[in-house]
Amino acid sequence: VYLVFTTNYFPWLTIIVFLPISAGSLLFFLPHKGNKLIKWYTICICILEVLLTAYAFCYHFRLDDPLIQLEEDYKWINFFDFYWRLGIDGLSIGPILLTGFITTLATLEAWPVTRDSRLFHFLMLAMYSGQIGSFSSRDLLLFFIMWEFELIPVYLLLSMWGGKKRLYSATKFILYTAGGSVFLLIGVLGLGLYGSNEPTLNFETLANQSYPVALEIIFYIGFLIAFAVKSPIIPLHTWLPDTHGEAHYSTCMLLAGILLKMGAYGLVRINMELLPHAHSIFSPWLIIVGTMQIIYVASTSLGQRNLKKRIAYSSVSHMGFIIIGIGSITDTGLNGAILQIISHGFIGAALFFLAGTSYDRMRLVYLDEMGGMAVSIPKIFTMFSILSMASLALPGMSGFVAELIVFFGIITSQKYFLMPKILITFVMAIGMILTPIYSLSMSRQMFYGYKLFNAPSSYFFYSGPRELFVSISIFLPVIGIGIYPDFILSLSGEKVETILYNYFY
Amino acid sequence: MEHADQYSWIIPFVPLPIPILIGMGLLLFPTATKNLRRMWAFPNILLLSIVMIFSLDLSIQQINGSSIYQYVWSWTINNDFSFEFGYFIDSLTSIMSILITTVGIFVLIYSDNYMSHDEGYLRFFAYMSLFNTSMLGLVTSCNLIQIYIFWELVGMCSYLLIGFWFTRPAAANACQKAFVTNRIGDFVAKSAQFPLHVWLPDAMEGPTPISALIHAATMVAAKIFLVARLLPLFIVIPYIMNLISLIGIITVLLGATLALAQNDIKKGLAYSTMSQLGYMMLALGMGSYRAALFHLITHAYSKALLFLASGSIIHSMEAIVGYSPEKSQNMVFMGGLRKHVPVTQIAFLVGTLSLCGIPPLACFWSKDEILSDSWLYSPIFAIIAWSTAGLTAFYMFWIYLLTFEGHLNVHFQKYSGKKSSSFYSIKLWGKEEQKIINRNFRLFPLLTLTMNNNEQPYTIGGKKEAQGMHLDILSKLLTPSINLLHQNSNDFEDSYQFFKNATFSVSIACFGIFTAFLLYKPFYSSVQNLNLLNSFVKRGPKRILLDKMIYLIYDWSYNRGYIDMFYSISLTKGIRGLAELTHFFDRRVIDGITNGVGITSFFVGESVKYLGGSRISFYLLLYLVYVFIFLVISYFILF
Repeated sequence: VYLVFTTNYFPWLTIIVFLPISAGSLLFFLPHKGNKLIKWYTICICILEVLLTAYAFCYHFRLDDPLIQLEEDYKWINFFDFYWRLGIDGLSIGPILLTGFITTLATLEAWPVTRDSRLFHFLMLAMYSGQIGSFSSRDLLLFFIMWEFELIPVYLLLSMWGGKKRLYSATKFILYTAGGSVFLLIGVLGLGLYGSNEPTLNFETLANQSYPVALEIIFYIGFLIAFAVKSPIIPLHTWLPDTHGEAHYSTCMLLAGILLKMGAYGLVRINMELLPHAHSIFSPWLIIVGTMQIIYVASTSLGQRNLKKRIAYSSVSHMGFIIIGIGSITDTGLNGAILQIISHGFIGAALFFLAGTSYDRMRLVYLDEMGGMAVSIPKIFTMFSILSMASLALPGMSGFVAELIVFFGIITSQKYFLMPKILITFVMAIGMILTPIYSLSMSRQMFYGYKLFNAPSSYFFYSGPRELFVSISIFLPVIGIGIYPDFILSLSGEKVETILYNYFY
Repeated sequence: MEHADQYSWIIPFVPLPIPILIGMGLLLFPTATKNLRRMWAFPNILLLSIVMIFSLDLSIQQINGSSIYQYVWSWTINNDFSFEFGYFIDSLTSIMSILITTVGIFVLIYSDNYMSHDEGYLRFFAYMSLFNTSMLGLVTSCNLIQIYIFWELVGMCSYLLIGFWFTRPAAANACQKAFVTNRIGDFVAKSAQFPLHVWLPDAMEGPTPISALIHAATMVAAKIFLVARLLPLFIVIPYIMNLISLIGIITVLLGATLALAQNDIKKGLAYSTMSQLGYMMLALGMGSYRAALFHLITHAYSKALLFLASGSIIHSMEAIVGYSPEKSQNMVFMGGLRKHVPVTQIAFLVGTLSLCGIPPLACFWSKDEILSDSWLYSPIFAIIAWSTAGLTAFYMFWIYLLTFEGHLNVHFQKYSGKKSSSFYSIKLWGKEEQKIINRNFRLFPLLTLTMNNNEQPYTIGGKKEAQGMHLDILSKLLTPSINLLHQNSNDFEDSYQFFKNATFSVSIACFGIFTAFLLYKPFYSSVQNLNLLNSFVKRGPKRILLDKMIYLIYDWSYNRGYIDMFYSISLTKGIRGLAELTHFFDRRVIDGITNGVGITSFFVGESVKYLGGSRISFYLLLYLVYVFIFLVISYFILF
């Protein structure tokens, strides 16, 4: 045992991937002693998983090494060379840690869920596994399988817990993403089967492979569509507001915090890393789409009456910065995009969480019905103001650093001429003016003003330390990254340079 | 004392622990924190005084041997991009930090009493020290990114402070307006100037100490500071300099005209602030850097004094007319307060006189300098600036007279049939006496500020008169940064010229004051006749034209020059329309396509289900049809 723990051959990642779902399946064998046991069990599993991840990454991951680490390679299906191949690098370590963090908090947040809580918590844990699996897989087909696997719990979570139109939105979600997955599968098979007789699915081998330009473009489009649905990129975003509007808020936290980031992660991991030529052809279009997305979605967000839909649109708008960062093909821009992935993971999740907690008390969905809530729930008001400030990129918070770095990425990019750069910067600046308009008017409509509530005090249940703890523990990393962004940048810096190496040499 | 510069990075961080502690305390242990209440004000003021002493030390050093210190740390370590943090100490920084800390301390002392009955006392102090922190950070920052960062933080603090009374819908709107305008101002690089001034009067929704702190003394000054900081960049491009001075002169005129017809005392003062800021911008645009900063400092103290005095008035009025800001800040209800609040009256009078530019007081020196510089720059601008100086005197005295002279108008309202019971007037006298006693502590900062106002010219301006330009402290302080600019303005002012200008400007100010008295009298007497409308009727047909003119100006001013209306129509409606449009597009077109695909596939599925409904007769029919088609085709092919 000693030997196993000291060498790097201990299968850390496999354990990390399998722990939540296998421990979650034990939930069904727990005695029927009420929901409390289930909740505590799930939270303990989540915390254990986070600690395990943190331990493994602390002691077995070296930041200065841009190569794959903690690698595992087992042959799974013999006849077409399918391997169980896991590994992490600077790009995936951030999202994995984010996943652990957000999922734990979302489980804690799901405390009020009483209906079918056994299944609910199992699905949360299954989703946990699926997400970590897709972030850490090093094999194209495995990536696809994990990607698909993680849809099932999300679909069930959407269709069983949530608002009145949840079936509609769950169906929409599954159709959209399954439709995207078709393109992903086409891309995966195309990449894997190209060239040699034996399928090559390993990321490393694929990264060094080159394709005819036309074929590469076709692959690129396939992957782009799949990731654009997930990210989402306009015009494939309409599943998102519906889904977020109807879902239970701990599902929303997972969706906004992690699921959307999978699309952006996929864009960097596959489109940028494996298909560099096509990416440099497509990157101007990505930037144009990204800037349009910021403006378009921000102004759509203003027109929303539903609180959660408005937050959902705001997260789509923030995804625009990631797309721009990815499209800029500069070190700075890509670092900014990765930072934005992490930062929005925290901020988006926190906003949904706060919307959910205030919904618990007010039972109001539409913004124009709300008002004057600051008097009755001052703490939520405080946290909501702080985090909407974070969302509108107030300096000192993580969103600002990410957006600033993306800005610099665009400005310093050598790929584009001066005029387009100025134009893009200008449009982004308009977006940054629109952002405070919608997010501050959201908080104004919710909290400011005065209104007499004759709601009975029984609505004010579940108040207190749990919610405060969740919001503060999201707030701390937000401000931590905002003040010292090297936390995240040091994780991804080396890897980003390696990815961009392909573009310049 | 070399080490003072090395440790000056600490300046912005000294007041920081207070908001953090209060914030954490309010979130985690609300009751315990609230019980301490007044205790929090003390460390707040203490820390700020430490900063003040520190910056005094710094500026003494700057006077002795003016040198620029800069120190930089790297913030992000990466090969391709690096952001740096650091501090930058020069004379401008030291002056600004003295200004911020002194005004800040007075406002804190004042608001301890002013806010003592407010529920959000602690929240208020947390916001205030956060504001001071970010202001100090702004003035010590060493690069543009850092300036932007602290600028945004200042904007956030003003958002919080303006929206302090969040149950008031007007405050909610005003704070959002302030933040958004500030954001726009980030990209345009200046605000509270002509196109972007709209938030300033609305910002008066905050508590009065805030109005004093933000909107008179520091925050708007920050904008001037920014332009002053960037002036070495701008000065190479004459276009920008001209643009700055043009904006300045428009702001001067607009602010002064808009201030004429404000009923709200704070809004009137706010527009006067705007007008004075215009003077500073004008001075900067003309290249007289020193005059602009001098005016910035003198104006900050005078305006802080005026605002604090008006806060005192408002508090005493609240007891009489009720707590609605439409009433307690309304000058129509005031009048004759001189008898009841004599100390405040003196303070207000001093502030007013200073702002009008009456000699021994601070603003005279600075304004005079700007005005005389403007002759050199462009005669048209100079004429506008001079006449606006008269206008300033007019409206400031108008405010003063309405507030303190005559009789309390609430009194008369009762007779003129509005609903206010005689109960108020009885209550008034007793309350007032108490108020004055209560307010003694609050008046302390007022008095100090008054003294400040008087001292200012003797320390800065006084020396100027005695020893000529080159030796006065301010210009000595600013020499390193204005080497480029000040040689042309220096030789100009010999004492003869100075006296000529001074007499001219004082006479204009006196003219303004005189007009104010003149116009005030009939109004006052008409009130005495208990008939406001009669006075307009009595004047006879000759004056109808004049009345129309007055009415026109009044209307323009009352509606805030229609600029707000223009914005609300063009921008707010525009954005709202855009939002509706995109929302519609998103719903109907993009989502419509998706739903359309869904519905189509549903119908296709249904029809296929219908077709494949396992009815033998239907299959037979289909079979026969195909056989028939096959026969027909084969018939055609064969023959």
